[in-house]
Amino acid sequence: MRSRVHWKQAVLAILAGVCLVVLAGCGSPGEEAAPEPEAQATKIDPASFRGKTLTYVYFTDGPDEQATRKLIARFEQETGAKVKLQIVAFDDLETSLQTRLSGGNVPDVARLDTIFPYRDDLIDLSQYFGAGLKDQFLPGPLNGAIGDDGQLLAVPSDLTMNGPFVNVAQFEKAGVPLPTAKEPWTVDEMVQAAEKVQQANGTDFALAMDKSGHRVSTILSQYGTTLISADGEEALDPAKGGKALDLVTGLLRSDKLSRDFWLESGSRYAGANEIFLAGAAPIYLSGNWQVSQFAENATFDWAVVPNPCAERCGGFPGGKFMAAFRESPNPELAAYFVEWMNRTESQRSFVKDSLFLPTRKDLAESGIEYASRNDDMAVFQKDVEETPADSFASVYSPAFSGSADALVAEIDKVVAGREDVAAAVEQIKQETSELVEDTSR
Amino acid sequence: MSGSVADGAPAGVRSGAGRSRHRRRGSPKSRGQRWAPYLFIAPNLAIFLLFVIWPALNGFNISLYDSTNGRTFTWAGLDNYRDVVTDEDFVAVVGHTLVFVVCFVVLVTATSIGLSVVLDAQRRGRAVFRAAYFLPVLLSPIVVGVIWNWALDRQVGLVNTLLDLVGLGRPGWLVESSLAMACTIFVGIWIHLGFYSIILLAGLQGIDPSLYEAARLDGATAWQRFRHLTLPLLRPTTLVVVILATINGFQSFDFIYTLTGGGPVGGTTLIVQFIYERAFESPIRYGLASAAGVMLFTVVFAVTALNYLVGRRSEAI
Repeated sequence: MRSRVHWKQAVLAILAGVCLVVLAGCGSPGEEAAPEPEAQATKIDPASFRGKTLTYVYFTDGPDEQATRKLIARFEQETGAKVKLQIVAFDDLETSLQTRLSGGNVPDVARLDTIFPYRDDLIDLSQYFGAGLKDQFLPGPLNGAIGDDGQLLAVPSDLTMNGPFVNVAQFEKAGVPLPTAKEPWTVDEMVQAAEKVQQANGTDFALAMDKSGHRVSTILSQYGTTLISADGEEALDPAKGGKALDLVTGLLRSDKLSRDFWLESGSRYAGANEIFLAGAAPIYLSGNWQVSQFAENATFDWAVVPNPCAERCGGFPGGKFMAAFRESPNPELAAYFVEWMNRTESQRSFVKDSLFLPTRKDLAESGIEYASRNDDMAVFQKDVEETPADSFASVYSPAFSGSADALVAEIDKVVAGREDVAAAVEQIKQETSELVEDTSR
Repeated sequence: MSGSVADGAPAGVRSGAGRSRHRRRGSPKSRGQRWAPYLFIAPNLAIFLLFVIWPALNGFNISLYDSTNGRTFTWAGLDNYRDVVTDEDFVAVVGHTLVFVVCFVVLVTATSIGLSVVLDAQRRGRAVFRAAYFLPVLLSPIVVGVIWNWALDRQVGLVNTLLDLVGLGRPGWLVESSLAMACTIFVGIWIHLGFYSIILLAGLQGIDPSLYEAARLDGATAWQRFRHLTLPLLRPTTLVVVILATINGFQSFDFIYTLTGGGPVGGTTLIVQFIYERAFESPIRYGLASAAGVMLFTVVFAVTALNYLVGRRSEAI
């Protein structure tokens, strides 16, 4: 009798749950579609910004924060507006912005790694500054700032370039020469050099590389392929992709690249900078954002060398954007701030202080004289020129992030002996195709 | 006996008729007394409704829509549920979750019972040992994951350094799938052991000592006393621990994320991490994540209800 009562209670509870699901399903949780972009042409009067306040949501890579604050101080002085810099962790950026947009607490401007999730929410900067604004930026980084209908939804505010760092002291001890811009290594030569230096110095590993699909994409590009093509479709060439993955998984399985480091981090990103800083690997495949950190923390002589070549040379790009939100309380001020922060002098100041690379054509042509590590930054700048255009198209595709994760997950499986490289390539292609389809909906 | 109770009670509640009249009319004082408990729980209930019940209901709702930004929604019906169950990763994740939950519940319950019996029998340093075993409960699971990640590192971890000293080599605790799952279960037990033991200890201390004394006089051995007295009398408390452990097992995520990141090769990825990755990692799929969340809720609810009903039935027998 007692247990019958409990059964009844359980059945009632389940029925109540089912009713809740049905009731909940009756109402839409939000709007069905985003509003259409407004077409307007507004002339901006900077004098009208005096006394206004602008919020700038920002994530920092390190030294760029002070560079940004310095520029903001100049902007405030020039316009009389107040800028509130709101710093969030990179991992929280998208969730934080989506929540704010959803709740109507829209910031004026944000620093973004991709415009894709917000493309319905951003101001077309061309409506304030004309089509000429686009022409001021390098075509590669500009790829990531253009909307579906050709709108300028953001400005590429800095550019990153992947490339190898070398422990010069260890190379000198091993008597292995470093490559030059005129005579870069081939990928095979880089690996052989790393192995020689490892043996001579007794380091744990020959190479170190961040656990990141973005970093592995550098090797894909060097072998002549990318995950996504310029027209936004899945593009991984099975033969070329297979060669690149053979190299990476071979290095991991032989522990020339740390297998434990790769597998222990699970599905999380992991930076291998500590392996390099500890002197445990003579070559570290990363990117220019490490320069300021190494300048401060490395206790040995190090340098940046040109990316190696296989079928192609160059590295793999990345970068950030500045965008203004349509629902911003001060849309004109927001658009003006984005444009002002990326004028020639502003961007020169920002990239010099941050040890970043410029996205403006004029600055790329004239070059930047960095106060420190100028030779290393010059190597990265040179590699921007060598980097194939399809790499820019690939990295700025909305499907790139997910397909880069798939790339890492499949490498994991090969290293753990669960599948071969051919199966991994096939799976990456399939997942990338699905992501391209998902993100184009 | 009842007369003495009635004698001591206020005039209005001495007879049944008096009680009902009292309820109908209600004095200002008794109405206040009646509402007081609700007023006390009202703030907590409001928070619970706002931050637990409402989001949970909204989760049901969102599972029927497609959304990549949490603002624009497209009706998807049951498509998200279909996509979840046909996802190969989800099938693997369900397998890992079942292995984790079964091992975790069985081992943590058995270990907690053992520990609580030992703590109960202890005469010296009781408080110190109880505090020591309870300490991990007070730590953030994120921090626990990080600490054990360091301790179990193959090259520089404390565990392997000690093992290497005695010639046992350097096992890849977090690199080999089976070892990583074992480590995950172990750390899960380490976190919860103190809490469950305290619950069981309270249950043990509620058992009448004269029963043990009688059993001793009858010549029962320590094992027989444990087997035929402690375990049956501890069954209601054990049931609570099993239910809590089941819920905690299914919900495990935070310490695993910092311990193994769900690796190697997804070998320790459980359902909550699957949901987290679908919801908060690019490309964001709130509907799919919510559908998986609803399925997890349904399973946890069903397993908990089953545990409860089976436990109560065997208790009645």
